[in-house]
Amino acid sequence: MSISAPVNRRSNLKIAAGAVVCEESILKGDITIGARTVIHPKASIVAEAGPIIIGEGNIIEEMATIVNRLPPNIVDSATPALQIIGNYNVFEADCTCEASKVGDNNILENKAFVTRDVELTNGCVIGAACSLIEPEIVPENTIVFGSQCHRREMNDKPYPQIGQLEYLMRVLPSYHHLRKANIKVKSDPAT
Amino acid sequence: MLRYEGIRYISDKQMVVLDIGSAYTKFGYAGEATPRGIIRTEVKCPESKEIRRIFNYIDIDDLYQLLVEFLHLLFFRHVAISPKDVRIVVLESLLTPTQFRETLAKVLFRHFEVGSLMLLPTHLATISTLGTDTVLVLDVGYQEATLIPVYEGVPILKAWQALPLAACAVHECIKKDLTDSIPNLRIPEKTVEDIKVRTCFVTTLERSAKLGTDDAPSPPPAVKYPGLKTIEIPGYVRERAFEVLWERDNDNLSISTMILDAIVKCPVDTRRQLAENILLIGGTTMAKGFASRLKSELNTLLKSDLYSDKLKIQTFKFHKAPSKPNYTAWLGGAIFGIADLPARCLTKENYLKSNRVPDWVCLLDNQKDDTSNCGI
Amino acid sequence: MAYLFQPDYVRYVCSCGSLKPISKMYFCRHCLKIRCGYCVCHEADSHYCPNCMENLPSAEVRLKKNKCSNCFDCPCCFQTLCTRAGQAPLRPPASSADAKQDVKATPKKVYYLSCSLCRWTSRDAGIPDQYVATGGWPEQENPNSTRISTLIDFHKVLASKEKQEQQRKKFPTKRTFLQYEKFGLTSAMVRKRAGKPLEPKSLIQHSDQPAPAVANEEVDDLPAGIFTEAVDITKITTLEQRLQHPDVQAEKINELRPQHKQFLVKRSQRCRGCEHNVSKPEYSPQSIKFKIQLAAFYHVPEIRIVTCEPLRVGVASELLLKICNPTQHQTQISLLPLDTPTTPTTVTASGEEQELKRENIQMGSESPNLLPLAVRQISVTEDPKPITVVSGAEIALPECPLFLPPRDDAAEYDETNDASHFQDDKKVVVWRKGNKIVVRLHVTPFANEQNKGEPVIVGFVLRHGYVNTLATLEHKAPQKSELNVQLFLTLGNLVGTA
Repeated sequence: MSISAPVNRRSNLKIAAGAVVCEESILKGDITIGARTVIHPKASIVAEAGPIIIGEGNIIEEMATIVNRLPPNIVDSATPALQIIGNYNVFEADCTCEASKVGDNNILENKAFVTRDVELTNGCVIGAACSLIEPEIVPENTIVFGSQCHRREMNDKPYPQIGQLEYLMRVLPSYHHLRKANIKVKSDPAT
Repeated sequence: MLRYEGIRYISDKQMVVLDIGSAYTKFGYAGEATPRGIIRTEVKCPESKEIRRIFNYIDIDDLYQLLVEFLHLLFFRHVAISPKDVRIVVLESLLTPTQFRETLAKVLFRHFEVGSLMLLPTHLATISTLGTDTVLVLDVGYQEATLIPVYEGVPILKAWQALPLAACAVHECIKKDLTDSIPNLRIPEKTVEDIKVRTCFVTTLERSAKLGTDDAPSPPPAVKYPGLKTIEIPGYVRERAFEVLWERDNDNLSISTMILDAIVKCPVDTRRQLAENILLIGGTTMAKGFASRLKSELNTLLKSDLYSDKLKIQTFKFHKAPSKPNYTAWLGGAIFGIADLPARCLTKENYLKSNRVPDWVCLLDNQKDDTSNCGI
Repeated sequence: MAYLFQPDYVRYVCSCGSLKPISKMYFCRHCLKIRCGYCVCHEADSHYCPNCMENLPSAEVRLKKNKCSNCFDCPCCFQTLCTRAGQAPLRPPASSADAKQDVKATPKKVYYLSCSLCRWTSRDAGIPDQYVATGGWPEQENPNSTRISTLIDFHKVLASKEKQEQQRKKFPTKRTFLQYEKFGLTSAMVRKRAGKPLEPKSLIQHSDQPAPAVANEEVDDLPAGIFTEAVDITKITTLEQRLQHPDVQAEKINELRPQHKQFLVKRSQRCRGCEHNVSKPEYSPQSIKFKIQLAAFYHVPEIRIVTCEPLRVGVASELLLKICNPTQHQTQISLLPLDTPTTPTTVTASGEEQELKRENIQMGSESPNLLPLAVRQISVTEDPKPITVVSGAEIALPECPLFLPPRDDAAEYDETNDASHFQDDKKVVVWRKGNKIVVRLHVTPFANEQNKGEPVIVGFVLRHGYVNTLATLEHKAPQKSELNVQLFLTLGNLVGTA
């Protein structure tokens, strides 16, 4: 499909310039990664049912999983499902996100789980070990927390993790091999 | 300056006030305006590790162990006080089983070695919060609704009423309605309670009459209740939850008839005063619309054949205690408990000597000249 | 306390009848009895805040209503709130006069409270940010506090009147000043019969009597929109959140206010028999050490199950037990059948064995317990709990006594000194090292229809020698005694019948 990136082992992986994608991350399928997005080693992004488009300034920590999963019972979908992830989201260690659409400024805390029929809008926080397993559109600034998955609307959306992002962009390249960017900054597919 | 005053105030001994309800226990110190806390009356069983309600005891020995566990937690975690030699006020319904109060006293004196115990009847103590002495007190708690009129400071015991129409019945009703609308739904009672508190209300009498008929009013909007599993609570469940309290059963009894029946049993010259001094206590009476429904039910019943020739009351008036209804009884105990009257307490020495708790039903404690100070 | 062998396979019987693992028991050195959390008297020693570890004298704790003035709990999820610093939010310049003053000043630091679990912040509740990191948060007053305090004052006056009255008249009086009578159906009837008006009524016309509450015909109606307006449940508080703050019980999430954190207590435990402490922690909340810690683990031999052959009804299975002597003295151990009396015995100077009673236990003279029994308070006794465990197997116990050398921490690392000078019966003592031995026993489960599916339990009495060292402080010879403790071992399920 793509011809512009002969360096990459996977031809359908598009990494915008300025993104920090560690070599040890597990990326499978058609994935587009926006600028200033940081993907830790051992984070896995699997585009199984269709392409995954990740926007700018996201942090995807180790063991976090973003999967564009095939709906159950369907082996091969004729129309590929697109999974879009917006800007400045944080996927903390060992969370799993299968949501078809994730807006901006969301946080999935450790071991959070979001199933594929969920749409996260903006500024949502899925607390540690909370799971969303039913189809729904989560309203803006919702926080899900606690063992009983309590919900509350926050006053304010969580602040984007700019400091952390800058720190990671500085530190990660010194200790890890990175995948090379293969797209010029201009094209930003997520927005 | 302030500190000095505080220390002077501290010099007198503290008095712990406990209101051990069947669902929630209110605890705090006498002379304070608010309970220090309200916790569930339940403990984690040390052997089976399951949460058990104190009032679901199997036998006396079981109750003894449950109370030991519960009070231990209460004293050291919540009240944070050494129970030894402390003075305690316990609020209890006049209808408390003798078994329970005897066991409670045994646990307090024998296990915790408390200094003295004052058992105050809930309905009577509650009127301390009003500053008047003629009040018809209706307590709708978890297990049952109880009513005792108090006239000039004297409870009119023969007019007492008690019905199992309280939170427990409401929970059953919600649970049934929910499982009917959503099959295979298993929800713990705690969640049912939360649903009740957050979404349900007592509907008006006019709407209630039409419920279930053809021209039923359109139900209030359904509520999405998120959690591990999202439950959609239909509007009719929200509206019908409390109906069980007003539906008259086979014996024609409901919360509203309790009040009227009690008034009928009272002497004629007290009736009007009692009807104009009603106080609602207990958590269930905090439901939205409870008082207004009660009022319209009472007014309707007055005109009905059942009561129209028996009662000539014109108006019902309701009191507002300076507290939330779910801890009004506690507050009554906290105000009354400040009156430091050793004569009204059962001391450890007396208990260990006689090994019994004075009880109003017992003739020993009702002898004419017996002011042996064991009365309550 | 977490313990290496958490499922309680070996349970000791406490003096009160509770069955507990040795790690949860105390041993009172003064009355030589095993005690557990159930049969000691707990006392609150010191109050401290679990978050900032501040501890206060108990008088001040009372003043502060047992709450920490600096730490707060989240009103939403009940976790501890932390103070966060932020820049003062930019205000539209025209809105306030102080904007002018701030022109040259650097942007001020402001502080707000935030919950790290549910991300509740004091800004959610509309509480203004503070310019100092600790304190200064607005306190919520009980709206009815003045009314309640007048009621309380009035009751105090009534009570003191009643007291005076009682003191004045030596003979007991029926008249009470408090507005209620003792349960008074009977006394009310007496009065009515006598045709008396209710006396106290006329006597309590004080000038300081608070105005009686006025009943009202109007009651709160249902909110108008309740039948039509959609409800957003995420904005309504749960019952738990309401009960956290009893005097307000806010219904809307944004009316919740942070709650002061409650103090916890450090507890000391006192033996109920002799009122000596069995456990007393150091006062400071930071310290995890104890001044006194008479855990049974340091005084009573510990038994662990090493292995147990699969159990079959009627077949003897081999059971290996490890016995460990934790004391500084050599001890003699014998295992006896369950029905042995558990009263301790001692050997008197004349060499005869006698039962150990309170009177002949040696105690240090500085011990406060030397008061005669009669002077002390009436001792409160709780009836011991009955033991409900049913033994499910026959156990063959060794007849010879077993000797255990004292504990020697250095010997743990000493490989050479292994050859023991104990003449052990090799059939019983399988292994020996330092202060530990492993003994071989045989258990024969018997068929029991009632306990089918339940694990097999065996019980026996462990008799161990105990050297009472309290007296050595006064250069007396330490008293030796024999103590008995019942034990129950849970061995596991039957695998089948023979």
